[in-house]
Amino acid sequence: MKFAPLVENEILKLLKRRRFRVALLILVALNGLIVFAQTQAKDRRPGRDWRIEAQERVARMQNWERSGRLPKTQLRWVRFEIARVQYHLDRNVNPDAVSGPLFARAFANASSYLLLPLLAILFAADIVSSEFAQGTIKLLLTRPVGRARVLSSKFAALVAAITLTVALGGLVAYLFGGLAFGYRGWGAPVLAGFRLSGETFDAAGVRSLPLWEDALLAFGLAWFAALTVGAIAFLTSVVLRSTAAAMGTMLAALIAGTILPRVAPSWEAQRYLFVTNLPLPDYYSGSPPPITGMTLPFSVVVLTIWAVAAAGVAYAVFLRRDVLA
Amino acid sequence: MKVVLSARALTKRFGKREVVSDVSFDLVKGEVFGFLGPNGAGKTTTIRMLTGLARPDRGEIRIAGFDIARDFSKAMSRVGCIVESTDLYPYLTGRENLLHFARMLPNGAESRIPELARLVALESRLDERVATYSLGMRQRLGLAQALLGAPDLLILDEPANGLDPAGIREIRELIRHLASDRGIAVFVSSHLLAEVEQMCDRVAIIHRGRTLAMGPVRELLAKRGADRLIFFARPVARAAEILKTFARDGAARVDGDENVSAEVPREAVPEALAALGSADVRVFGVERQSSTLEELFLEVTGGETV
Repeated sequence: MKFAPLVENEILKLLKRRRFRVALLILVALNGLIVFAQTQAKDRRPGRDWRIEAQERVARMQNWERSGRLPKTQLRWVRFEIARVQYHLDRNVNPDAVSGPLFARAFANASSYLLLPLLAILFAADIVSSEFAQGTIKLLLTRPVGRARVLSSKFAALVAAITLTVALGGLVAYLFGGLAFGYRGWGAPVLAGFRLSGETFDAAGVRSLPLWEDALLAFGLAWFAALTVGAIAFLTSVVLRSTAAAMGTMLAALIAGTILPRVAPSWEAQRYLFVTNLPLPDYYSGSPPPITGMTLPFSVVVLTIWAVAAAGVAYAVFLRRDVLA
Repeated sequence: MKVVLSARALTKRFGKREVVSDVSFDLVKGEVFGFLGPNGAGKTTTIRMLTGLARPDRGEIRIAGFDIARDFSKAMSRVGCIVESTDLYPYLTGRENLLHFARMLPNGAESRIPELARLVALESRLDERVATYSLGMRQRLGLAQALLGAPDLLILDEPANGLDPAGIREIRELIRHLASDRGIAVFVSSHLLAEVEQMCDRVAIIHRGRTLAMGPVRELLAKRGADRLIFFARPVARAAEILKTFARDGAARVDGDENVSAEVPREAVPEALAALGSADVRVFGVERQSSTLEELFLEVTGGETV
């Protein structure tokens, strides 16, 4: 029995359903909305020199820093941002340039911790449980194909769907961003690799690379984060056998992940939660990590362990459990 | 005769409760085997074990000689099944559903789709979404799906459930045709005695997880009580007196002022009618009341009720 026809089946079932079209619609609507909002931004007056704007921003942030009213986490971020903008000024690179390619690049960061995981959940939470809900699991598992192969074909289809969604997300962002800010600029230099070592800004690792390379890396990382969430949602789908329950569980986890680092930044153990590690592209573009001391390799390792463990448990449960639905 | 399906001492427990106990049977090529029992008797659990959906706690299942626990794929490539209702993908068309399941079979299954669509009379609706199908059409599509792999064995769980009389007849004829003309062994579960009577060659009666009786349908049916005849006659008291002498158990029951019923054997009916006539009893009608599954159970269990 060949594997490819099984994957073809699963991809067909994913694409034929309304939820894939809904996901596309969300990508288009969201990108359109953000682009529209950005073109309406009041403080960006055309024709002004970006250097003056950047210097004003540094001055504004320095005022906040001195005011002494900022909480510790925000203070850290403000100091980092001052140093980052100043570094750009010193090297005569515009830190706030807008172009279609840059908009697409920014999409990778913005979508990696909520939007892309959300879409991954939309596909994964339902991929096994819907077969239980429809009763089709009884047909699927009484064919001359082992359960491991059935589950593997579903996992392969999920990976394909997530990959397609991330790629389409980038494409849609580029198309919309380009419409508003121009389609050129993939070769523009980007300064990446800023780090916060302790409380001080560290420019030792900073290097300049063309935007397309930077964007590719960022999207790769966003893809990896979405894949991890997909694997965990896949597990909940297998174990809970209910799309609503699987979706609810995963959404609760995602929401907790966006809230926790803000309300309890000093709780160090949360660095081992998968949700805390999702904003991978942020490391790359230089934002401070959610919890002090977290690094890109650390987050990648944590996510990998979560994904592998989730897939392992999903297989173990799926292979052994009696189907009585 | 070639044994297609063999179940040996199947036992399944849910927690402490044993839902299937020590069930054994064999199916040979070309026979329709009825698995008869009331709801909750363990029929569906047995079918789940036969199809590999649930693992028996004890016992062995062989399909075309392959142990399904060890050679699952080889065994299942010989089987087509409908477990409980025929659930297919509602958002796909009939053809897409069949293609989907053909892709899960060895090469060549796709080429059978046109022929099977004709067999189950769905050619004209094959490219419409299953969501728009009637229950009978879904059942027939499910049957086409089960036949895609040219199986030696069909396992059908309550195939007539939810169908109207015409739909039941169609399915019944199709099953008989598949068994006698194509040599497929068919395992059919049912809780309706009449259905099994009309469709099956052999039957096993299952109750509370145990087989109570097994054998050719005719032999088992002979065990049940004679059909009860209801006579609409006046005067009712005199009719009852006469019918008593013809009844197998020497009893007649009066229900209402022109309604007497008695278990009169078939061959004694003409004489009984003649006797009623010569005693000036006016007979307005006679109705046959077929014995039910419950009565058959009473017979084979010796009094234990369903």
